[in-house]
Amino acid sequence: MQIEQLQINEIDNLHQVSSVEVGQHLYWQIGNFQVHAQVLITSWVVVAILVALPATTTGNLQSIPTGTQNFIEYVLEFIRDLTRTQMGEEGYRPWVPFIGTMFLFIFASNWSGALLPWRVIQLPHGELAAPTNDINTTVALALLTSVAYFYAGLYKRGFSYFGKYIQPTPILLPINILEDFTKPLSLSFRLFGNILADELVVAVLVSLVPLIVPVPMMLLGLFTSGIQALIFATLAAAYIGESMEGHH
Amino acid sequence: MRSLSEIIAPSSYWTLAGTIGLNTNIFEINLINLILVLGILFYYGKGVLINLLENRERTILNTIQDAEERHKEATEKLQRARLRLQQAEMKADEIRIIGLTKMDRERRDLVDAADNDLRELEESKNYAIRFEKQRAIEQVRQQVSRLASERAFESLNGRLTNEFQLRMIDYHIGLLRAMANKST
Repeated sequence: MQIEQLQINEIDNLHQVSSVEVGQHLYWQIGNFQVHAQVLITSWVVVAILVALPATTTGNLQSIPTGTQNFIEYVLEFIRDLTRTQMGEEGYRPWVPFIGTMFLFIFASNWSGALLPWRVIQLPHGELAAPTNDINTTVALALLTSVAYFYAGLYKRGFSYFGKYIQPTPILLPINILEDFTKPLSLSFRLFGNILADELVVAVLVSLVPLIVPVPMMLLGLFTSGIQALIFATLAAAYIGESMEGHH
Repeated sequence: MRSLSEIIAPSSYWTLAGTIGLNTNIFEINLINLILVLGILFYYGKGVLINLLENRERTILNTIQDAEERHKEATEKLQRARLRLQQAEMKADEIRIIGLTKMDRERRDLVDAADNDLRELEESKNYAIRFEKQRAIEQVRQQVSRLASERAFESLNGRLTNEFQLRMIDYHIGLLRAMANKST
């Protein structure tokens, strides 16, 4: 880009800054499906980060953890404690990987959207952002949680698991069945809504005042992102624990 | 599933991907704010994180040291217990040996005593037998002598007639006379 053009297009650039686009996607055609490519790309980056982090930090394990090993162990301990508090001391261990994956993926996705300068890479349509600001990602995560708690319940209690549908009283059967649909729905919408709203607020603020003013909002966004990851993981663990223990 | 070539190069969308490029507009990519946020995050987060991790490290170190100390203590206790066990075993062995020797001696004593008794009994038996034999012999002897004297009496009584007596007296007289003659 030439300097003259910059000067000429200065107003034009300012106009470009103050544009917020929603619902624009870069589509890839895989088979009969159209996929949101920007979500896939950012997901891959997040996955790569999440794979690389433990791979690099656990190369040289010491009995007394220092530095990065200490950090990664702290993360694992945090996830384990979270799972244990939700599922109880007995039988929580096999679900630590699942809950940990949920938490870490959502957390890294959210923070990548808030911290990484994704917009450096310009796409023909849409823009790179946190994978969790696309409803497909959050629905996939929520449905995985649904499958997980069905599996946990059936595996642990056999067909008596379905007894929980008429547990307090058979009158509540429709509501209990409805709950199976509302759980993934609320999980996915909560996460999606929070992240999208946060990114939109930041984008709008940036479009209004490009400097300094959006920073508190971005910090708040970091906070809410972390909280949302925590909430998602906690709820997933709680649902799985509930289906394993039976009705209270 | 379609062919791989279609996935790699879908008909209409791939051409659009050609316009992927770098956006160098600092305002548009919100870079300054991002750097600010990252700076704030590092500035405040670093201290908290380092503090947290140091605490964790210290806790782990203390726990490991505690565990090692307890391990050492337990090992010492085990050693002591083993020593005591050994001593007890030795004592038990001693007691067993003493018991065995005692038993042996008792048995020998008992056997000896039985032997003595046996010998004494044998002796007394022999003595009794000898005594009885002696008595029987004595009895037989008395009987024989009685019988002999009886028979002698009988034969004496049978043979003691007047004629014999006269002859006897005559013989003695003759004997006495010869003696008298000889003395004179």
